[in-house]
Amino acid sequence: MLSGFVLALSAPRTAHTAPASRAVGLPEPDPSSPPILVNISKLPKTVEVNITAAVATLSMQPGALSEVFAYNGSVPGPTLDVREGDHVIVHFRNNLPEPTTIHWHGIHLPFEADGSPFQPIAPGKTHDYEFTVRAGTAGTYWYHPHPDRRTGFAIGKGLFGGIVVHAADDPLPSMDEKLIILSDNRFLQDGSIGFAEAASFTGGVDEENGREGPVLFVNGHVMPTVSIRNGEVQRWRLVNASAGRIYRIALSGHTFLHVGSDGGLFEKPLEVKEILLTTGERVELLVRGTGAAGTRIVLQDLPYDRYAPQTRPADWQTTRDLLTLQTTGEAVVNPITIPATLRKITPLDPSKSTAVRTIVFGQGIINGKTMDMSRVDVSTRVGATEIWEIENIVGMDHPFHLHGFQFQVLDRDGVPEPYRAWKDMLNIPKHSTARIIVRYDDYPGKWMFHCHILDHEDHGMMGVLEVR
Amino acid sequence: MLAMLILASCTAPSSSRSFAGATGDTRIQTDRAREDQIARGRFVVITHDCGGCHGGGSNPAAAGWLDGMRDTINDVFHIGPYTTRPKNLTPDNTTGTGRLSERQIFNALRYGLRPEETPDVEITSTVPGQGNFPLHPHYLAPPMPWDAWRHLPDRDLWAIAAYLKQGLKPSNHRVPDSDGPPDFWVSAYTVKTIGAYPAAPYPTANER
Repeated sequence: MLSGFVLALSAPRTAHTAPASRAVGLPEPDPSSPPILVNISKLPKTVEVNITAAVATLSMQPGALSEVFAYNGSVPGPTLDVREGDHVIVHFRNNLPEPTTIHWHGIHLPFEADGSPFQPIAPGKTHDYEFTVRAGTAGTYWYHPHPDRRTGFAIGKGLFGGIVVHAADDPLPSMDEKLIILSDNRFLQDGSIGFAEAASFTGGVDEENGREGPVLFVNGHVMPTVSIRNGEVQRWRLVNASAGRIYRIALSGHTFLHVGSDGGLFEKPLEVKEILLTTGERVELLVRGTGAAGTRIVLQDLPYDRYAPQTRPADWQTTRDLLTLQTTGEAVVNPITIPATLRKITPLDPSKSTAVRTIVFGQGIINGKTMDMSRVDVSTRVGATEIWEIENIVGMDHPFHLHGFQFQVLDRDGVPEPYRAWKDMLNIPKHSTARIIVRYDDYPGKWMFHCHILDHEDHGMMGVLEVR
Repeated sequence: MLAMLILASCTAPSSSRSFAGATGDTRIQTDRAREDQIARGRFVVITHDCGGCHGGGSNPAAAGWLDGMRDTINDVFHIGPYTTRPKNLTPDNTTGTGRLSERQIFNALRYGLRPEETPDVEITSTVPGQGNFPLHPHYLAPPMPWDAWRHLPDRDLWAIAAYLKQGLKPSNHRVPDSDGPPDFWVSAYTVKTIGAYPAAPYPTANER
């Protein structure tokens, strides 16, 4: 099963000392990776950073300048790099011409820090987000705006960044890590980012499919090259920051070791040929370098039909290239060993469930309704365990996202989930049903649940879960 | 109601039982009204040949009554750019109308709006973006003749919805999705092309 990865000799296991932004001893970030937020705190177990959202002019494509919205001047924004147990303080300034928020997608934190549409920050205003990263959170997350009805626009303009939470005791050996944030965009001839008028033909298609662009980016770069040595294993953390595009990831004939998802590592690695990465979703993959120096293979986005027949793009069967993986330098002589067991994930017990919620996804509606922030759609209490049955009754995929609480998948169309994982994103394919189990173990508040096709979310395919 | 209560007080050994009896009588009345509505819906469905496309012809006893297209070759409509496959109208949760409200079905028949793609709200306008009419309406595919049947009285449209939701047994039968161009901005269903609802007052220039 792990033949490509489990080799005879183990490398010495080095504990992850601290994020690069606040300590020495870690390798320099890959040039193609986003910068890391600088920790200005001198206190132990504290990460204090400044984030400003502002209009900027950047070269997104060669030879063209684009007006973007950027966090600290870059697209993607700098990575928030923390450890379990860290207290995080984010001094945020909104220098945009419109209200915004920062939503810490997937992180279990107090409602007041969620950055949902309930907590807009007006232009010119500041806000301190403050939360503690709880034990068991280690994994890959991302941050992005979540303003009422404008999330797709704001993320499309460039507001997204990664979050990496390191474990106190990571079961994987130390290895080179890459944060790979995938996005796509559409540009007008003058280089500006293209958004269609709502009433136009393209606007109508965007409302259906979620806005897709023909230019695919990895960390803001088009087709960057990542270097690897023959025999070297790298840990890739992938984030899908696209509004509507679902990536079907493959590495030209090679396999990945799929070791984690939204909420961190699995119990056991899985060797796979391809990965479906829905909007907002994250995966952790181990990639092994092969071939002589100079070997180049391409990470690709394979065709995936998530679309309704009426709005399926004519070129949906196109395979798109994302990045080049190039073998360089000397072969690794002492390869690392990947443990067969990564960690224990305690299953949530369906017999403890006190309610079964039926969530019906129509096209742009949930349970026949569009979003009303003054309405509570699901009401429950702290400590409750519930099963959500999410039914998609229409002919296109809808990715489900729950704020605040990670869940486990019980089954999809009645087929039990083959492995346990913590999730906050789940693609619900056309005409299918999934059952998840969730425990609201802390943090009362009004939490959003929604389709993470951003155009759907902005048009009201969202509901409110009140935990009291 | 007053007469009923007086009668109950004379004959029943306890007031609680008499009120229980009165409540039961009221429910029977409600059930009867509902049954009348379902029967009316059945009549409208049969006489408007819903089964001609959706299954079973005009015979509610036929196999596959209203549970959607069965013949994947001969029952498919090819109309211009559309490939239309009549859907399962029985109240099955995964393949039919089980997760739709009667109001969503009413809105489909009155305004031609696809029920699984239109919010469950009262619509008070036919102008996109106004009165809960969707800005980008998703219309039922041709040849569904909603543009004619929308002129049926409210009570008949509600009766159809009641019959489909309450008068039919669910049948788990998946019909593939219809295919066609993006239709939510088409000019096919404007007042200019299909006339206003309600229809222009009698007599129009064509009438005497």
